[in-house]
Amino acid sequence: MPLTARNIGSLVIDSLCDRAQEDNFAVIGLYCDFLSQQEQTTTNIMGALLKQLVVRGGIPDHLRAAFEKGKEEFGGRGPRLADLMGMLKTVIASLRQVFICLDGLGECLPKRLLEVLESLRDILRESPGTRIFLTGRPHVGEDVQRYFSRAVVIPISPNPNDIQNYVEMRLDRDSEPEAMSNDLRVDIVRVILEKISNV
Amino acid sequence: MCWHSPLEPSNRHQGARAGRFDGVGNWLLETSEFREWRYSEGGAGKAVLFCSGNPGVGKTYLR
Repeated sequence: MPLTARNIGSLVIDSLCDRAQEDNFAVIGLYCDFLSQQEQTTTNIMGALLKQLVVRGGIPDHLRAAFEKGKEEFGGRGPRLADLMGMLKTVIASLRQVFICLDGLGECLPKRLLEVLESLRDILRESPGTRIFLTGRPHVGEDVQRYFSRAVVIPISPNPNDIQNYVEMRLDRDSEPEAMSNDLRVDIVRVILEKISNV
Repeated sequence: MCWHSPLEPSNRHQGARAGRFDGVGNWLLETSEFREWRYSEGGAGKAVLFCSGNPGVGKTYLR
């Protein structure tokens, strides 16, 4: 279904990426996922963000070298969060501006969510130009505002235009178009929009 | 390249993008809140934008 906050997340990432190349911004992000709760540790989440910056290129050689060296040193054991955060903050500070998008925050384990928010706050303290885009269920908002008291909240609710476009798209793809008349079509759209406005 | 993280966000992004319906949500990109967040380069004042919504928003009525 195309109307959830999650879809907004992917839309925002795309809209940022469209201009990222020309403006020398970096856009990094991650989709939190119930099914990956165990492997989505704070260390892995921050590591995934760092990896995206390194793969993207455009970071100073000595930082890239430190990243490679870290890989060798830690080997299979995996890095500590503090080491990773140090590296991530340095890399972000070396770039003009970094956009971080984390989607579906409510799907992290609750204690991880707080760690993730704290790590993001650390990054922002070091590089205040960083822009952070988060999506999640309304209850997550309290946690977000605990760490970012000036966070701007935008509620995502069903938008009648979006719904109308979506219903019409589905009707266009109907496998039995001969069973549809114009009147029926108009009725379907009208009734669905009425039901939604009563929610 | 799996030292730093076993997560592969780009795969997930391709999936989310493929499931998206064109045009939906574009209103968000036009809001003043989004634009201020997007284009303000200084200070940490407008640094964090949080889009909040229930997981089933609209879903039940459109299946």
